[in-house]
Amino acid sequence: MAETASSKKRFWLLSKSMHASEVRLAWLLILPTAIIVFGLVLFPAIFSIWISFHKIGLYNLNDVFHAPFIGFDNYKSVLNDFAFKWGGPKQWGAWVTTIFYSFVSTFITLIGGLIAAILLNRPFRGRGLARSVFLFPYVAPVISVAFVWRWLLDPRPSGVLNHILINLGIIETQQAFLATRGLAIWLVIIFQAWRYFPFAMLMILARLQAIDDTLYEAAAVDGANSWQKFISITIPQIRYVLGAIFLLRLLWTFNKFDDIWLLTGGGYGTNVLPVLTYQFSFNMYDFGKGAATAMIMMAALVVFIIGYVLIIMRNSEES
Amino acid sequence: MSTLNQHERVNKGNFIDHLSKTLSWEKFLFAVGLFFFISMIIFPFYWMVSSSFKSGAEIAGRAPVYIPSSLRLDAYRELFDPAWKSFQNFGVNIVNSLLVAIPTALIAVVLSIMGAYASARLHFKGREWILNGVLIVYLFPAVLLMIPLFAMLSKVSQTFGFNVQDNLVILVLTYLAQTLPVALYMLTNYFRTIPDEIEQAALIDGCTRFEVIWRVTIPLAIPAIVTVGIYTFMIAWNEFLYAFIFLNDRSTFTIPIKINTIFNDPSPRPHVVMAASTIMTIPIILLFLAFEKYLSQGLTSGSVKG
Repeated sequence: MAETASSKKRFWLLSKSMHASEVRLAWLLILPTAIIVFGLVLFPAIFSIWISFHKIGLYNLNDVFHAPFIGFDNYKSVLNDFAFKWGGPKQWGAWVTTIFYSFVSTFITLIGGLIAAILLNRPFRGRGLARSVFLFPYVAPVISVAFVWRWLLDPRPSGVLNHILINLGIIETQQAFLATRGLAIWLVIIFQAWRYFPFAMLMILARLQAIDDTLYEAAAVDGANSWQKFISITIPQIRYVLGAIFLLRLLWTFNKFDDIWLLTGGGYGTNVLPVLTYQFSFNMYDFGKGAATAMIMMAALVVFIIGYVLIIMRNSEES
Repeated sequence: MSTLNQHERVNKGNFIDHLSKTLSWEKFLFAVGLFFFISMIIFPFYWMVSSSFKSGAEIAGRAPVYIPSSLRLDAYRELFDPAWKSFQNFGVNIVNSLLVAIPTALIAVVLSIMGAYASARLHFKGREWILNGVLIVYLFPAVLLMIPLFAMLSKVSQTFGFNVQDNLVILVLTYLAQTLPVALYMLTNYFRTIPDEIEQAALIDGCTRFEVIWRVTIPLAIPAIVTVGIYTFMIAWNEFLYAFIFLNDRSTFTIPIKINTIFNDPSPRPHVVMAASTIMTIPIILLFLAFEKYLSQGLTSGSVKG
């Protein structure tokens, strides 16, 4: 009796020390990743808050920790900046532009992805190939596709869109589409939708293929047509995926720098917050003001993350 | 005669029936939609590749040239031929991009295998905390981090006396920070689908943990590991913003920065830009096609940021 008790105790001690070594191993394995992510993501993110309350330019960048504290001056300066604040329908300012740009382009991306997914959900010869081709805009480097688009929209005689529209008699002389206030923002939105609809398509397609066929068969027995089937079966089945993609894409579009920077450089009514952050910091070398702009973006981001987590959690609770 | 007529009529009826069955509105819309999408996608890529073979005269003409008259290599010779005027020495930029993208992919694979094994298999406090933290980090935008990183790195370079700007190692590190959370998340999910019993059996047979990882876990997770490697490679290969900020010296430019420089040259040479873009895009498209099956799965599990 006593013997078994002691062997039990020994076993317990053994498994405890095994567990301890397992924990040590786990931390050892995860340490390099943790150091890199902490040093180059988490610490900079916190440091960014600090920068946004200090006056930092190129002259004191090397001595950044002794930069003068200036309270909310950077924030005030951003909020009062001509490029940031609402200046009437002709001068939206970056925050209105950003919200308009991210919501509209996310919406169009989602619609494009939905249509593409419905097209590809139908069996036809060459479907596999078509699916690969549909993903090209998403995997291709942004710089090459952005410059192709810039050339297609170019005002010079070799610009394709100008050539087509003049031949159709819609316009008479060459237009600089990307340098036209009001039009440029829509072109940037269309580019964004063109580039990112494949992401939405893939996610929706995966969900569409998981829908139980018997639902459609039952609806067919009841005499429903394709549109009715789409509205009352397909849409409810993919509702949560649509919601999740919308938030994810909204978040990423909100923070997108490359696309707009490469297409218009932020000019002609397309200046969004990420581009403004860049301009404040690396064109005007006012890093504090740039960081303050980034923090304003971050505040919006936190709202998005909360929404995202709520939707994902509700989604996973139901399934 | 009458029988023949009857026969014809029956045939005609069949034909119209057949036509009305195959040519429904739905099929028409489907065909139009497919054509619209395919042409919208293919045309810019066609324009990129075909324009890279155009001559200077075709580029600057009075109307766009849709089909180049011949496969002229002017643009490619400007990129690679030292004898050509305004030679761009593009080979250096390709090497730079590879020097950034390959180490990023390899290190990301190794580190994420280690981290993912720990968070999928080993029991320790803070495991869930790390996984959730990874997800949040994944949502941090690059734009938010560029200012503090720039400030930190110039401080570090001043303190330790080495050049942080124009240093490809720094790019590798920042790309790792951007890709590791995703890689870790993807691999952890994959490792969790591998039955634990196989590894337990190997442990009981006397294998050490590292032998188990090397001989059991890695071979079983090859599809996910390949996916992570290719993703991180693609992200590092395509990245623009950090390279744009950190690289000033022409000899360190990666391909995207070089393309940007050629594009913004005072004398516009779009065919050269298109040739460089073609060189940059083709390997990515080929990689994607070769591993499409894995990559699409990775995409649907929500793993690529961009």
